[in-house]
Amino acid sequence: MSIELKLSRSNRIYRPSEPLEGKIITKFPSSIYHQGIRLTANGTVNMQVRGGTAGVIESLYGAVKPVSIMNRSVEVRSSGKLGSGTNEIPFSMTLRQQGHDNSEPFYETFHGANISIQYLITVDINRGYLHKSLSATMEFIIESEKGNLHKAPLSPEMVVFYITQDTQKHPLLPELRSGGFRISGKISTQCSLLDPIDGELTVEASAVPIRSIDIHLLRVESVLVGEKIVNETSIIQTTQIADGDVCRNMTLPIYVVLPRLLTCPTVFAGPFSIEFQVSIVINFRSDLSKLHPKSDPRTPRLWLALETVPLRLVRTKRDSL
Amino acid sequence: MEFKTRDYDAEEASHSLPRLQTDFHPLVVQSPLEQVDIPLPKKVDLYDPLRASDADFAVSVAEGKDVEYVSIRGSSNETVLQLSAKEWASFKRSLMQKFSVAKTISISSMSDVIVKSGKEHEKPPTRIHLEELDDPQKDAEAGVKIITRQEYVSRLHELKDEICRAWQAEDRVTALKLSIKVARLLMDTSVLQFYPTVFVLVTDVLDMLGDMVWERIKRRAEYADDGTMICSLPDDFKASDVSFDAKETCNNWFCKIGSIRELLPRIYLELAIFCCWRFLHDRPWENLKRLVMMMRGLADPLASAYCHLYLARCSQKLPPHDIGYLITCINAVKVRIILGRESMNGNSSEDRKMSVSLFEPAIGWIIKCLLKDTDQMRLGDVLVKLGLRANETNSSVESPCISIVLHHLLKELPSEVVSSNALEFMQLIECSKDYSFDQYLNYMLLGLKLCERIPLMEAVDAILVKIFQVVAQYDGLNEYLKVVDAYLDIILHYKVGDYLTIILDGISDRACNKGVAESELDSLQSIFIKLLSHFDNLNDVLALNHFVEILDVMYGSSRNIVNMHILNKATRSGYIRDPTTMQLLFQVSQALHDGIYFSSIKDDDSQQPLHLISRFVQMVDFGAEMEHHLTFLVECRGAFGSTNELKETLVHSSNYLAVKAMKDAKKHDSFLKSCIAFSEVTIPSISVTIRQMNLYLEAAEVALLGGLVSHTDGLIDSAISCLQSLEVTNGSRTPVDLDGIISSVRKLCSLLIMIPGNPECGATYIPRNVLSIISSQSWITRRLKIRTFCAVISLSTTLSQHKLPYHANSREIVGNDLLFFYEPSYYQELLSFSSSVVQNLLDEVKQEPNQAARGSLALEACNCIISSFKANQEIVPICSKLIEIANSCLHTNNRYLHSTVNYLEKYFITSTTEVPAVTT
Repeated sequence: MSIELKLSRSNRIYRPSEPLEGKIITKFPSSIYHQGIRLTANGTVNMQVRGGTAGVIESLYGAVKPVSIMNRSVEVRSSGKLGSGTNEIPFSMTLRQQGHDNSEPFYETFHGANISIQYLITVDINRGYLHKSLSATMEFIIESEKGNLHKAPLSPEMVVFYITQDTQKHPLLPELRSGGFRISGKISTQCSLLDPIDGELTVEASAVPIRSIDIHLLRVESVLVGEKIVNETSIIQTTQIADGDVCRNMTLPIYVVLPRLLTCPTVFAGPFSIEFQVSIVINFRSDLSKLHPKSDPRTPRLWLALETVPLRLVRTKRDSL
Repeated sequence: MEFKTRDYDAEEASHSLPRLQTDFHPLVVQSPLEQVDIPLPKKVDLYDPLRASDADFAVSVAEGKDVEYVSIRGSSNETVLQLSAKEWASFKRSLMQKFSVAKTISISSMSDVIVKSGKEHEKPPTRIHLEELDDPQKDAEAGVKIITRQEYVSRLHELKDEICRAWQAEDRVTALKLSIKVARLLMDTSVLQFYPTVFVLVTDVLDMLGDMVWERIKRRAEYADDGTMICSLPDDFKASDVSFDAKETCNNWFCKIGSIRELLPRIYLELAIFCCWRFLHDRPWENLKRLVMMMRGLADPLASAYCHLYLARCSQKLPPHDIGYLITCINAVKVRIILGRESMNGNSSEDRKMSVSLFEPAIGWIIKCLLKDTDQMRLGDVLVKLGLRANETNSSVESPCISIVLHHLLKELPSEVVSSNALEFMQLIECSKDYSFDQYLNYMLLGLKLCERIPLMEAVDAILVKIFQVVAQYDGLNEYLKVVDAYLDIILHYKVGDYLTIILDGISDRACNKGVAESELDSLQSIFIKLLSHFDNLNDVLALNHFVEILDVMYGSSRNIVNMHILNKATRSGYIRDPTTMQLLFQVSQALHDGIYFSSIKDDDSQQPLHLISRFVQMVDFGAEMEHHLTFLVECRGAFGSTNELKETLVHSSNYLAVKAMKDAKKHDSFLKSCIAFSEVTIPSISVTIRQMNLYLEAAEVALLGGLVSHTDGLIDSAISCLQSLEVTNGSRTPVDLDGIISSVRKLCSLLIMIPGNPECGATYIPRNVLSIISSQSWITRRLKIRTFCAVISLSTTLSQHKLPYHANSREIVGNDLLFFYEPSYYQELLSFSSSVVQNLLDEVKQEPNQAARGSLALEACNCIISSFKANQEIVPICSKLIEIANSCLHTNNRYLHSTVNYLEKYFITSTTEVPAVTT
């Protein structure tokens, strides 16, 4: 006895205005009677507080009351009989209810450390009190409405940065302080989710050889707990752009492909917000670094120089796809 | 029995073909010059398959390039891809072979994928911790593991299989993860000499992954989920032809790869699936520029060079496109070398040389790719961009020329481009003097390129002036020789100035004091051979300053090869008369001969020099001073005494000398005797008996010609004794040998016709002797015996004639026809001898065990008898018997049998005897 959901799109991406289509596939050894087949689509923002800037008391609470985005239910079949063998029951379900305006926010699917925005579709076959009801659940992915999207192409917003021994607030190795270094470049601060983060970087001078230059993509999840906003910043992806002591005064490209699902458009909602940052980390060659091979790359160390800039992610129209 | 009477003159007249007088010898060469210029007939109907294909390839290099270019542009993309794949495969093979590697490799801990857990001896964690506190350096060393080369390779093969299996099990994530681990291996450049091998192995894995991804996405584009075909993508599909789902999958792949943390594996993986950009963009190569830029982040020059190499390879799989980024690649590698020069100052030049040699294949391949698809028009542009040609906007200081880059550029450029810009390249070579490549090798390469397409006279002058300024600075013989050798063809082509003198002076200055190293011999040999083949006359070569002197410092096989060329040259231009030349050639031959004698070269290899020496001996001509010539031959015997072939030549020469002396009509009896004596002394030392016999016969003929009857008799005796001693030579005899013997026996018989019989011993003394030897030797086959009998019968018949068919060309020797003129006992002796032989003949034929052989031998014997004897009661039964044998043994359609029977019928008509019934 099995029941399965299959969506019409293999990537399971739908927009709120689009109908959610697919089929329910049942496989039974013998025919069964049921009291109705019901589909439920459900969207929630789940939040929890853990680590970050949360205090002890907030941590004890753990979960924060989830925010419901949508909850729709329809009966696909009224009570009846399902034959033995494989049955396919097609369905189509509108996500955004007619009559409602577009103000109801359909946040994009996101899976973070503290915040998770998830959409699920569930099928239930109710078989009365005597039999266990059958059900199956599947996640589907919501991307923003086409109508709400920014008109492509997105205006490129870049920020110019300089990293020198003087811009660093944390203690540096003495040879870094005395020898000095200067790394300049620019990087986008607003970026379409479909495009890579763009930019360039030049090592103008460095007395100490460079070991590596990495770009960290960070997400900042903020949750309102009571009166307090709890922040947590975590690394989503690290991308190395220089391996070893690269040539001076040669422009290196910054090209970071954004990971799917781990990113979403920057959101500022009442009870929560999701923001992103880019951090440029210069790792200088030092014997000390070998003593801490597994340390958190965000921790400012003596042999690191870094610069963090905010990054606004937006959803744009797909043009080529 | 009765001998047939023969009228040889009438027979000759009736059997010979009509003859015409001719003014020219059809085979004679009229003059050596015309021989070269024989014009080919305008219309050659002959289809020569080799020539036809040759013509295709003979198009100039430029045209070749064009053709290639067009075909790339054309639709036959598939074949081009296959071609480049093949080229790449052979390149990879050479890459792996080029760098020899120690058996074990120390790899850093980051290549953990290679070292399976538990395979190496891990230290207990507490100890590591202690050491860590102790000394951080130690920890770094602890990360290094030793593994054998074989283990490394087999582990990589295992990984490849694992990836393949994971893919087939639809577990693509694992396949990708493993591929990333494999690509990560290339980050460890500390393996140095092993790096090229690692590169080949890793890119093999990546190529496989790339192919699998390509196939998968293509399948997604062509088939629906349930396996029905949606469309078929043409070879040159556009991104718009690709379905949304396929694009989505493709995009996912690039996203996955984009999230790889480390730069180097990320670039390699993207290159591996680079072709897949075609599903997303119509101009996929635009992404290559970004990748080239990204490679700037690879600080390690070795990793960077090979990464660029992989890019050049992967870009070949794309449809034809602008390849400007390859120039950027080369410049990037160049910058690394320049920086390397600065940073590696502390290192020894050996280390630097080695690291450059590791880059070299990458540079070579990229330049090959670059020039392959660049047409002539844009070459100038390429040169400017590579910093090889100064431009108003781009000063060449920014990226100065690097000699190794220049080297590969020269190597790959079409020769006509090099040729028309020769001076410019000369300057570039002059400017680029760095550690990455030896300057003189670039000069050499330029020379070789110029020889392929020799520039105009004016340019050549300037080039040669320049190059001779350069080589004059070289102290080492090796550099000097290599460069000079490369330009020699041009010098010889234009026959310019007295460069030859300068070159030989230069070589002699450098070589004659210090001697020649073995590595230098090859160049020296090449130079000498070029000189020898350039001049028509050996004397012109010998007249060159220092030629002989330099020749003397050469040794070994190079020396032998040059010697052979000298001999070849000398013996091809007519007789050798100049005493100095002769003396030199004698020394050369002697050296060559000793070379063969002392080094136990295989027989096949020694044939060529021996032929040349023989030819030299034959071509020597002392004119009227024949005594000197004979002395020369004696000298030769002393020098070349250990070789059969040469001794044979010497005997031939002395015989020739004797005949020449006789022809000169001045009667030198003593000289003649000396020549014969020379032959007589020389022949026994030849180890092959059958050759001895032939030479004895030849000498006997000469002696006969000179009227020296007693000498002739002695020589004939020696020849016959050779026949006797044949047995002892060796046990197994091939049929060829037997044929040789029978022809020698026949030759002997024909010679005997001219030799006056010895009245004391009887006219048939010698044939009897021969027969007794033949019958006494156990190894002699029946066939040989029968043929000998036939020959002896023919000899007897001929001797019985009142007029012999030919006589010795000497008035002093009287033929048997005159000597025994109508002497009845003489004829009786011949007849009785013959009849006994005929009887033996019949017996032998009957005993031949092989049926087919018996048949044909019977016919042979029958023919011999018919032509020797008159038909009568004694002869006819014998003939009938023989025909009967032949009839029973041979096929009825045998043509020999038919013609014999026919002849026999005609023959019997003349006789009274009844013709035997012959059923055929």
